[in-house]
Formats: sequence, C-alpha cells, structure tokens
Amino acid sequence: MSASAVYLFWIFGIFIVMLFSIGLYCILATFNLIRALIGVEILIKAVTLLIIVAGFLSGHTALTQSLVITMIVIEAVVMTIAVGIVLGIHKQNKSLDVRKIRSLKG
Amino acid sequence: MSHLLILVPFCCVIILNLPIRKVMRSLAPVAAIVLSLLQVVMVLCFDCHFWQTQFGIIGTFFKFNLVVDRLAILMLLCIGIVSFVTAVIARVLIKERKERFDFASLLLISLSALNGIVMVRDIFSLYVFLEIAAVISFILIAFKANLLAYEGAFKYIIFSAIASIFLLCGTSLLLITSGSTDFSLINASLTAQAFSPSIILAVGLFLVGLFIKAGVVPFHWWLPDAYSEAPSPVSVYLAGIVTKAVGVYALIRVAVSVFGMHKSICTVFLLLGAVTIVVGAVAAITQTDFKRMLSYSSISQVGYIILALGSASPLGIAAACFHLFNHAIFKSLLFVNAAAVELQTGTRDMDKVSGLSQRMPITGLTSVLGSLSCAGIPPLAGFWSKLLIVIALLSTGHFVYAVVAVLASVVTLGYFLVMQRKVFFGKISEEFSNIKEAGLGIVVPEIILAAITVGIGIFFPVILNRFILPLGG
Repeated sequence: MSASAVYLFWIFGIFIVMLFSIGLYCILATFNLIRALIGVEILIKAVTLLIIVAGFLSGHTALTQSLVITMIVIEAVVMTIAVGIVLGIHKQNKSLDVRKIRSLKG
Repeated sequence: MSHLLILVPFCCVIILNLPIRKVMRSLAPVAAIVLSLLQVVMVLCFDCHFWQTQFGIIGTFFKFNLVVDRLAILMLLCIGIVSFVTAVIARVLIKERKERFDFASLLLISLSALNGIVMVRDIFSLYVFLEIAAVISFILIAFKANLLAYEGAFKYIIFSAIASIFLLCGTSLLLITSGSTDFSLINASLTAQAFSPSIILAVGLFLVGLFIKAGVVPFHWWLPDAYSEAPSPVSVYLAGIVTKAVGVYALIRVAVSVFGMHKSICTVFLLLGAVTIVVGAVAAITQTDFKRMLSYSSISQVGYIILALGSASPLGIAAACFHLFNHAIFKSLLFVNAAAVELQTGTRDMDKVSGLSQRMPITGLTSVLGSLSCAGIPPLAGFWSKLLIVIALLSTGHFVYAVVAVLASVVTLGYFLVMQRKVFFGKISEEFSNIKEAGLGIVVPEIILAAITVGIGIFFPVILNRFILPLGG
C-alpha cells in the first residue's frame, strides 16, 4: 500500500465507521418499523462504501463496480418487499410501533 | 449443462407469466411438480451424458463458474425431493387458483436460486443467490397476509439483512487480503499467508452471517416465528431445504473449500454446535404448538450438523452431509404431518387434540417413523447419521461433545414421544371423532418420505462406502 492509499483508506475508514454506528444506533434505539428499515439501509450504504474502498486498495476497480451495481439492485428489491410488509402491518394494526405487534414469543 | 438447472426454472417462470392467464394459471402448479421431479431424475442418473456435456453458445453469456461435486449432487437431490413434496401438497392446501399460481411461480424462482447456491464457486455469486432465495422466503412467509405472518416475515427480513451485511463485510475484507472472490483463489492466498487480524475479522464476519442464515443458537430468534406462522407448504419448504441450503450447506462449503477447516474455526463450530443442540432440544420440550415444536427441533438438528463439521475429520464432514440429507427428509415428513393435522382439525395446539391415530392411521404411522428417525432410533436413517457423528467426535478425541450429542438425543426422543402421546395416541376426543384421513395429495408425499427414511436406514451398509464416505473428500 502506498502512502496516499493509506491516507485515503483512513478518510474512507472514518466515514465507514460513522455510517456503521449511525445505522446500528438507528436499529437499536427505535421502536418504529420504518426507522428500523432506514437503519438497515444506512448499514448497507456503509458496506457499499467498504466494497468500493476494497476494490481501490486491491486494484480491482472494475470488479467492484459490477459488484456494487448488483448489490444496489438486490438492496432495492429487498427494501421493496420489506416496505410492502410494513404497509401490510400498518393496514391491519393501524400502528407502526414494534411494541404493539409483539405477539410471537417463546 | 448444469447451467440448465438454474436457467430452466427461471425461464419457466417468465413463460408462465406471459399474458395468457387462463392457460397458465392451471399450468403453473403442474410445471413446478414436473420440474422438481425432473431434477430428481437427472440427479439419480448422475453418470449420464447431461452432467459432462459442455454448454455451447449460451455458456458464453452465462459465465458462472459452476462445479458439481458429490456434495452438490446430494444437495440437488434434496432440493428436488423437497420441492416436489412442497409442490404436491400445495395443490391440496392452497385453495384459491390465483394463490396457487403465485405460489408455484415463487417456488420455481426459489428452486433456481437454491440450485445456484449449491453449484457456484464464487463468494459474490453465492451472496446473490442467497439473497434471491431470502427474498422469495420473505414473500412466502407473509403469504397468508395476516398480522402474525407479517410479524414473522418482518423479523426474518431484519435478521436476513443484517446477515447479508456481515457477509458483504467479510467479502470485502477477503477482497482486500486476497484480491479475489473465487473460492480456490481465496483458499490459496489464505493458506499462503499467516492468519493476520484482518483475515480473522473477515472469516469471523462471514461465518456470523452464515450462522444467522442457518439459525444457529445465539442468532436463532427469527426461526421459530418464521416457520410456525408461514402457511403449511411453506413451512415444509423452509424447514426442509431453504435454511439448510442457504445457511448450513453454504457453511459447510465455505468452511471446507474456502477457509480450509482451521483449528480455531473448528473450536467455534464445536462450541456453537453443542449449545445449539441443547438449547433447541430444551426449548422444544416446553412448546405446545405443533409447528413451533418442530422448528425448535430443527434448530437442534442443525446443531448436530455443525458439531459434526467441527470434528474436522473427513468422516465428520461426511457425517454432517449425511445428516443434512436425512434431516431434510424427516423434517419435511414431520412438517407434512403437522400440515395434515392442521388441515383436518383446524388447530396446531397439541393440547387440544388427542388420539388422531385412530382416524388418520397413515399420518400417525409416518409421524412415528419421522420422529423416531429424528431421535436416532435404529434402523432408521437418522440413527446412522447420528452414529457417524458420534464416531467422528470420538475418533478426534472430543469426548465431552460426543456425550452432549448422545444425551441430547435422549431429550429429542423425550419431546417427540410427548408429542406422539398428545396428538396421535390415546383416546380420541368427542370433538374430533368424525374426522377423516387427509387427501391423497398429502398422504402420498408422507408415504414417499417415510419410505426414503426407512429405505436409507435398511440399505445403509450398501450406501455407506459407495456414497457417504466419499463425501468427506
């Protein structure tokens, strides 16, 4: 790794760690279903950034570009299904609060 | 030609969704049955021309690196059998035509994704297929569209998304350290360099992702909810093959051919395997819901597979693969039994029903066979795979884990006997005195699965040297 690559890695590294902690906090602190999904989304963004940095450091930028495009497509599909299910919950329960739908236990 | 196993179901879904609704709606369930049966037939004659032929012009467009070895063949067989059973019982259990069509389409996409997981040799392609299978599972769990089903599906979505994040972090760190996503290249570079902190982090993250997908104990919270609230055919499909291929098979494949069974990885496997067996078995005792009890039992059996993998000997790996196959068969059988009971009595609560064996003799008999196989009673198939697991643990010097495996097997027998006594034995209650055996569409799959379990058990000495021991490589 050259000196400029290490420098760049640290800049990206700080942002990746920040995004990770924001996403984790968002998932753990909230009781709202949509906010939990937003937290997941922020975590996925952090991973996307990590993969781009990995491609830059290992010299496989073309490979990681295709990986990131594929990832974004998959992520969009997953989030569509997830939001559909949240809509279903809201329709039947009239609430997005996790505390009101905890009926499966044990 | 193994590309066809992925491409044919996929193209079939596209053709089925062409705008000629009336024909296609009745055709889709038949297509699912035929394709899965075709897969079973293709796998059973694995010496034939099909597997050796290279893929001509189309192969240049689909540059997957697909390899079919013995373990992959075994999994393809499993996938074929369980999909066939699911497609057959779905024709009975799902009443509405439109829903039946949707279910068959989703089943076909899932079939092609599972075939992809089994055959790919590239971490990122593995992730893509895992994610396709997971998305289909979300929709299938929420198929009933009631609040409980939505809750189970949402839990699975959150856990699965976190698992994908772990997998991708691991992938990107492996990309930095080894510069590739191909299984063999990563393995070569991991064995070439000593285990540095970044490699340990990468391997750890990747394994945690797969543990979540497999439902190993500290990460198992989504599994009972998802299995028990899904519609019955979906429970059979999820418990029988989806989590096994997505989590456990991927774990075996990655541990054996990418990370090369390092000693510290094996310690983690042994520890988590033992904890999973015990927690799953103990939690299963206290359940009153039939399907929920089977879900916890499923967690416990996954523990056996992980434990066998942790012994790191060729015999242990072969035993893990054999138990994976047996588990797929007998757990599908038990879930089909649960589906039959739920269909005929309208309840899954084991305390409310009793003495069903008198009215549903075939369901009663096959469920006895399935649960005895799961508990490891000779001469059924489950006994032999558990015996191989214990022998593998003893021969590598893990006495404590072998004792845990045997004792937990007794607990397994305990909760299955309690289930049998409550649901099938004893006097039939007034309320259910005039129920009938479930229809042909459920009884025939039960008989097929029970026959496979008994057949493998009886012919075990014949297949041991030819098929099972070579699985360890």
